[in-house]
Amino acid sequence: MLKHDVVIVGAGLAGLRAAVELRKKGIDAVIVSKVYPTRSHSGAAQGGVNAAFDENDSWESHFFDTVKGSDYLGDQDAIEILASEAPGNILELQSMGVVFNRNDKGGIAQRPFGGQSFPRSCYYADAVGHMMLHGLFDNVLKYKTKILYEYFVTSLVTDNGKVSGVVAYDIKNGKFEGIAAKAVLFATGGYGQVYSSNTNALINTGDGMAVSIKAGVPLMDMEFVQFHPTTLKSTGILVTEGARGEGAYLLNSLGVRFMSKYAPKAMELAPRDVVARAEQTEINEGRGIGGAILLDIRHLGKERIMEKLPQIMQLSIDFEGVNPIYEPIPIRPGAHYSMGGIKTDYNGRTVIEGYYSAGESACVSVHGANRLGGNSLLDTVVFGRRAGIDMAEYLKTADERKFDEKAVKRDEEAFEKLKKSSGKERHGLLKSELQEEMRADVGVFREENAMKKALDKIGELKERARNIGIDDKSKTFNTDIVEAFEFNNILLIAEVITRGAILRKESRGAHYRTDFPERDDSNWLKHTLATLDGSGNIKFDFSEVSITKFKPQPRTY
Amino acid sequence: MEFKVRACRFNPETDEKPYYKEYTAEDYPGMTVLNALIKIKSELDGTLSFRRSCRSAICGSCAMKINGITKLACKTQVSHEIDKFGIINVEPLANMPVIRDLVVDQESFFDKIKEIKPYLLGQREDEAHNRFHALKEGEKISQPVYYKSEFQNLTGNEDTPNCILCECCYSECGGVVGNKNYLGPAALAKLYRYSEDPRDNDKNGSRLVGGSKPDGIWDCVHCQSCEEFCPKGISPVKAIVKLHEKSVKNSITFSAGSKHVVSIARSIGETGRLDEVKVAFESGGITGLINDLPMAFGAGLKGKIPPLRHKLIKDMEDIRLAYKELDLEDKL
Repeated sequence: MLKHDVVIVGAGLAGLRAAVELRKKGIDAVIVSKVYPTRSHSGAAQGGVNAAFDENDSWESHFFDTVKGSDYLGDQDAIEILASEAPGNILELQSMGVVFNRNDKGGIAQRPFGGQSFPRSCYYADAVGHMMLHGLFDNVLKYKTKILYEYFVTSLVTDNGKVSGVVAYDIKNGKFEGIAAKAVLFATGGYGQVYSSNTNALINTGDGMAVSIKAGVPLMDMEFVQFHPTTLKSTGILVTEGARGEGAYLLNSLGVRFMSKYAPKAMELAPRDVVARAEQTEINEGRGIGGAILLDIRHLGKERIMEKLPQIMQLSIDFEGVNPIYEPIPIRPGAHYSMGGIKTDYNGRTVIEGYYSAGESACVSVHGANRLGGNSLLDTVVFGRRAGIDMAEYLKTADERKFDEKAVKRDEEAFEKLKKSSGKERHGLLKSELQEEMRADVGVFREENAMKKALDKIGELKERARNIGIDDKSKTFNTDIVEAFEFNNILLIAEVITRGAILRKESRGAHYRTDFPERDDSNWLKHTLATLDGSGNIKFDFSEVSITKFKPQPRTY
Repeated sequence: MEFKVRACRFNPETDEKPYYKEYTAEDYPGMTVLNALIKIKSELDGTLSFRRSCRSAICGSCAMKINGITKLACKTQVSHEIDKFGIINVEPLANMPVIRDLVVDQESFFDKIKEIKPYLLGQREDEAHNRFHALKEGEKISQPVYYKSEFQNLTGNEDTPNCILCECCYSECGGVVGNKNYLGPAALAKLYRYSEDPRDNDKNGSRLVGGSKPDGIWDCVHCQSCEEFCPKGISPVKAIVKLHEKSVKNSITFSAGSKHVVSIARSIGETGRLDEVKVAFESGGITGLINDLPMAFGAGLKGKIPPLRHKLIKDMEDIRLAYKELDLEDKL
């Protein structure tokens, strides 16, 4: 068994940012990740990270834009922290080595983003996530941080209501390891793989959320799934909102900039939920082109495209066979981000003492019913940092606790049992069926009967999942068994999303019910909290939204 | 259209040596090699092992040899490979031990990244801008000023910060083939990236000194493979050459490689000719000279004996002018 003061699970931006905070103070924190840190999906973030720097901008305006963007479901005490700490966090990252593009005055260059009333997205061309991830990774190396890479975490272990560590499977040699700790942070990212046509990495299977709900930690607001308006038609690969920030048009098959109908003021730079719905409506009403609409950046000119959007130019050429300098890019909405997640407070704390979460896996909630572009990278560093600081404080008074080695045995046996199974079902195919069902019936537009159909399908898949066969019996780098476990995780998360979406009988932010098309503040201005009961069924509770400065108003753009 | 994938397989638990296994898959428009491998794994053979994550050429997980050429599987189209080769051969990266199938042990690669101090050095911790500050109501923040020009070598599309550490360059690197301890193109490109950062304050040049030690920048064999195989269009070898220039300019010339360069420059500056004996002596000292003896002897047998005294060439004036133009006079 290994023993450390802190275990950080996940090595994307939130995990690395927390690690830097702890290691700077000399605290014994270990990073555990199922991939090498630089493979984390934070690196795929393209467009920007928000912070109010300009003289004519203010963090208070960023605060309000985020509250409005969240359709008033975001907790205002937390959003106030997000906005007021944003500039300080960005400058701190810059001093750690992160490079941002510059403006003519020698400050950080900023571009407009959806739902923001001022151009306040800081960027590094269209690869700011890559820049931040590698910058923080370099700092983790600077502070000589121990990294257990290619370890897959299977359980959270507690002792008398306090966290005592995790169980992890070493993918390289097939051994299970108990890692004891007084504080554990899950920065395990989202669950984009629940849906077909998503922008996410194949590793984004909601593992941390699944492990948490099984350990008794509530998942909050899971019905809110962000569909990004611009993902490549054939692969779902992300095309940054920064393209629209730089001035791109959205066109339907008639060549019309249709956003004038849906968001006459903000046009293409309306928030993502609004734009995704507009696109889907155009497609559904027959003004799409083969299930897609067009993103046109030709008028920006070759030079500006090459300078500001080089990555999406290359991605369009490599993955869609379209050179956006000369042709518009066929795009459609794709599953992108999880507004919901492990319920935490604004220091990353969960209901279990010593157990924390930050980043996309967590729900503070700063994004409420809809996240604004450029706020997720910000969320990772603001709350990753705060969790790091809070864990360091917590360790000063945290008492010793027992790590129950039986937890390791239990997971080992579950793995061995699954590995021996020679059932007929293939988890890769079950995953495709699940993803397609979720896209079709729990997507941009939702309706009770369709979602009940999805629930039936999930029930059927749960049955068939008992009969999964594993080809690979080996101990060395057995990704077959890891993928089977990941499939079970997305299956559980898909059920939580669907049940939450059926429960919430209103339309708010990214959750749009065609059978309940209005926002209903008198009944539904509240968070949903999903937990498992004794027999593994999902049940729901509710909690209040923090409303400090801004009373809910109708949301138009 | 049906096509064949021939995958290099190896499991240390059961196999003595690698072997190839053939699979048949069905193509669709836009299918990538990674898509094909995923399809094979989920439908035909779950034991086929490979790494993958983002599927959009930014995470660097799925680098492998495809029909003999190191590439990212996620950005390689099946149709292109089939058109050219009629089959898709996939093999693990070179220059690293194989763990299983297409999965290599990356430990040595990442250890080398750590070696070059991949972070800003010598920053003043007390600088106001380095301290975190949360804003109060109505408060604005002031920023440190850095102009575009100061970051000009770090913000281009094909500049070194765009490296995704995919190991394509490392797999193809001729320098690593000859010397397993050579830091390799990715680590040295990162060394260059930090040495170009205007915020870096490496006063005693410790990073460049470290990079100039054996196995560092002077062990590059200039084969250009790193540039050729980089999926992000970066040229580590150009960065390495710039590091050569930087270290010579900063008089970090303790290594044989830099002495060699300085000596060649001096020889040309003096006579316009390459005085091979002198260059050998100045780069490697007596031992270097002795080591070169067999080669010199062989050359002698073929009648290739360098003159002991070098006459000035006719256009010596042009060389002096060129040296003046290049600011190299003080290096002579």
